[in-house]
Amino acid sequence: MAILELIQSNLLTPIVLFFIFGIVAARIKSDLKIPDAISEFLPIYLLAAIGLHGGIEMRNTGFETMLIPMLVAIGLSLLFTLNHYQILRRLGKFNLFDSYALASTYGAVGAVTFSVGLSFLKNQGVTSEGYITAILAVLEPVAFILAIFLTNMAVSKQIKAKKESLGEIQTESEIEMGISETKTNLKQVLHESITGKAIVILLGSIIIGYMIGEEGFSSISIVFDELFTGAIVIFLIEMGIIAGQRLDDIKKVGVFLIAFSILMPTFNGIIGVLVATALGLSLGGAVMFGLLLASASFIAAPAVLRHAIPQAKPSLYITSALGITFPYNIIVLLPIMFMVSSIVHNEGSIDLFNYISKGLI
Amino acid sequence: MKLYDVKLLTVTCEILAQKNVIEILTKHNITGYTTYEVEGNGAKGLRGQGLKNEKNVKVEVILQENTLQDVVEEIARTLFTNFAVILYVSDVGVLRTEKFV
Repeated sequence: MAILELIQSNLLTPIVLFFIFGIVAARIKSDLKIPDAISEFLPIYLLAAIGLHGGIEMRNTGFETMLIPMLVAIGLSLLFTLNHYQILRRLGKFNLFDSYALASTYGAVGAVTFSVGLSFLKNQGVTSEGYITAILAVLEPVAFILAIFLTNMAVSKQIKAKKESLGEIQTESEIEMGISETKTNLKQVLHESITGKAIVILLGSIIIGYMIGEEGFSSISIVFDELFTGAIVIFLIEMGIIAGQRLDDIKKVGVFLIAFSILMPTFNGIIGVLVATALGLSLGGAVMFGLLLASASFIAAPAVLRHAIPQAKPSLYITSALGITFPYNIIVLLPIMFMVSSIVHNEGSIDLFNYISKGLI
Repeated sequence: MKLYDVKLLTVTCEILAQKNVIEILTKHNITGYTTYEVEGNGAKGLRGQGLKNEKNVKVEVILQENTLQDVVEEIARTLFTNFAVILYVSDVGVLRTEKFV
């Protein structure tokens, strides 16, 4: 079956092999470690490279084409976050805080996953629309803001209900205080995520990429183009080590969350690919669009959520996003989405089910 | 040389709680403190490996006894339930007591 072959060949790429190597190194309790400064530097480098590429591409294609895909991505991200919450809260029986934290972790995007996706496409000899990088930047805070807003609403409702049931006299000022607290909290989160290093470097590089264009880029392409995949490889050793250290925690997150961290990205990703194809994105663009919706955030999420929803257990959302979803996304889901995208791009979406059923049999 | 008695408050917490601790200090008009990144083991498991957000930090503040009560009370009330925090107080001597609120 073609899809298994694709997964198999994806397994043998340096990115995936080094990731698995990192996991093995952690499991045998090796003291192998990427120095702190480098593992902090690499995400910045990766985002700068992604941003530059996106900016240069956007100079070629213009801004107009990006508006609709961006709005659709935001809409889907919000919808998926709400959907995650309902599933986690009702079926998974997680508490309110964990449900919202997990829902937004999975609604948010993963920049590292995005880098791996770009390099996967490069490997397949496929390009993607540059403006997807801009969508990455815009999408980053969206799911968090929604989840935090809803959490604050739910908490103030609970407090109010509690006070009423206790028969306390609710003074106007107390309600106002609650509302204003929520507002400042949201404002802070908004400010933090927009001025956070990930978004700043990404937007900055997009703008610079747009300004310098191809000819300006040629002087720095040796660092930002040729070294890109190599840098991901080094970073993925570190990611592998961290994921490996967390492997024991996976047992603690429970069967439901393990299933959720595999099925949800698959569902979101494939919907993303299909929607992107319907919007007229290219084969590679649809894969990247799907990846945006499939990926979970594990670097930005803890930083935002630990402050905004401190009651949620970070071990749940970091472990599931980094320990389960990230490996699954880069090893299995990327080839699957690539396959789906190739099918819908070659044969038209009507034949999709036919093709899949034929392929399965 | 005369040494004046003041208190040293040491807070070891996860790095993401550092901001909250500093905010509480600022609220009580304390502007001087020292922080450093640390590693260690405790109830929340081995800390300080891997992602930067998973590191621990140690915050040291010298303050007068009457301020200390309020600060400690607020840290305990707002941070103990949701964050990994260890807090202790020791007696120290300083030369210039006017530097410490």
